[in-house]
Amino acid sequence: MEYTGHGGKAIVERVVSSQSQARELIKGLKSVAVTGRTARECIGIAYGFFTPLEGFMHKADVDTVCEKMTLANGTLWPIPIVFDIREEEIREKTIEKGNTILLIYRDRAFATLEVEEIFNYDIAKMKQAVFGTIDAKHPGVKMYDGFEDTFIAGKITLVNRPKFQPPFDKFWYTPNQMRQKIAEKGWKRTIAHQTRNVPHSGHEWLMKGAWFSANGEMPVEKLETGILVSCIIGPKRLGDYIDEAILLGQQKLHDAGYFRDDIHMVSFVMWDMRYAGPKEAILHAIIRENLGCTHHMFGRDHAGVDSYYDSYDAHRIFDQLPQGSLNIKPVRVLEWGYCPICGEVTYSGLCGHNKERQAFSGTMIRSIVQDKVKPTRLIFRPEVFDQVIESAEKYGFGSPFCTEEYLDKRQPVFELAKL
Amino acid sequence: MAEKYPINIWINEERHEKLSKVGLADITEDVLAGMKVLRLYCTAKQKDQLLKLYSMAKYDSATTKTIELLPAEVKDKMFDLVIERKRLNVIEEFLKRVR
Repeated sequence: MEYTGHGGKAIVERVVSSQSQARELIKGLKSVAVTGRTARECIGIAYGFFTPLEGFMHKADVDTVCEKMTLANGTLWPIPIVFDIREEEIREKTIEKGNTILLIYRDRAFATLEVEEIFNYDIAKMKQAVFGTIDAKHPGVKMYDGFEDTFIAGKITLVNRPKFQPPFDKFWYTPNQMRQKIAEKGWKRTIAHQTRNVPHSGHEWLMKGAWFSANGEMPVEKLETGILVSCIIGPKRLGDYIDEAILLGQQKLHDAGYFRDDIHMVSFVMWDMRYAGPKEAILHAIIRENLGCTHHMFGRDHAGVDSYYDSYDAHRIFDQLPQGSLNIKPVRVLEWGYCPICGEVTYSGLCGHNKERQAFSGTMIRSIVQDKVKPTRLIFRPEVFDQVIESAEKYGFGSPFCTEEYLDKRQPVFELAKL
Repeated sequence: MAEKYPINIWINEERHEKLSKVGLADITEDVLAGMKVLRLYCTAKQKDQLLKLYSMAKYDSATTKTIELLPAEVKDKMFDLVIERKRLNVIEEFLKRVR
């Protein structure tokens, strides 16, 4: 079955189906080694997470993304997806427009890139447009400062399917697979929860509250609205939760019955966060639109960092979009906290005990977990806490947070076969 | 008055008992849904020294206004020092010992 993705374009998988076909396709191609970020973006493009993109962007697309937040054809798009390369490498390997090159990731043939355009770009313009700042301390700006000096535009085809390792394998769904899964579940509405966190009760209630919003006037005897927990898997920094604890911790909320089996599932998306605040919120919405979601929850400081964006910039940007440019509805959420007067986890949009209400600080909860002091169940479900500690032992070299040892020795998220 | 930068030491039953023995149990606070915390206050200079010594730690200026993500063993040592000295003002001594 063909599914329609963002921009009204069909979701097409650009993935070679057999190893023999792949071997034939890559014979004699010039090869270029790519970074983890580029590899993850190749996966995003090839499986249709970034529909309507079929490859890395042309200069004309980057121009309109930066200037008008659209692709050159007018489709809403907030962040450039570009393939950067050293000019010297292009010269040394005599890469020219019209070539197809082989992309190598971790010494394995991975994807082909059809060279349709080679161009230079004003990185400062790109940074200002995407992040609203060129401050080198902004992590997205820092990423862009690391770009090589030249860009290649062109279509991507995966010649080597990534083989996801446990526990990632049971959470991996491509957009087509996810659409099928949603259809099987009978969900008429699906609300995405974007996360890079192990869930505390604030997250749990954010999801529950957003579910009510999305379900709206839908029938309640047979539920047809589901929550898709869509974790972001990308580069990790010291002190982040380890990926395995995030996925398994989210799944534990489901397995322990805090969410019904028929209204909740966990998956992930490979993406290197830009921390571009409002612009990144739109990209997250596009990715989840391609996954088949009808709604997307946005909390405080969505995809933000430090104080570069106002806490609710990522809410307001949706008011500026032309009607019909996005086929997914934002569900805007204030904060959940614990109120000692109400004696429960409650919503700041409802509870009037503003002085007494206690905020769920993710940082504070990390601190409790780090100290290995079991939190109260109103903060953190005990099953989730136990799962996090178990994941720390199994995958994190004793820590639920990324340590240098984890970053150095962790099992890869996916492996590639030798072609 | 100079600004103070707290460190949260999370208190479980075992720690609560140790605090009781040295007469400090009453100084814990309920901060979030029944979680108890003992707050050790730093000066700005001490905060900067700690963040330099422990690079993964950070000052959460947005929500909690506390120094967070110090390694567990560091907090254990601070707590032990509180018990040993029977007072909360132990950060300077802790920093001296580390140096």
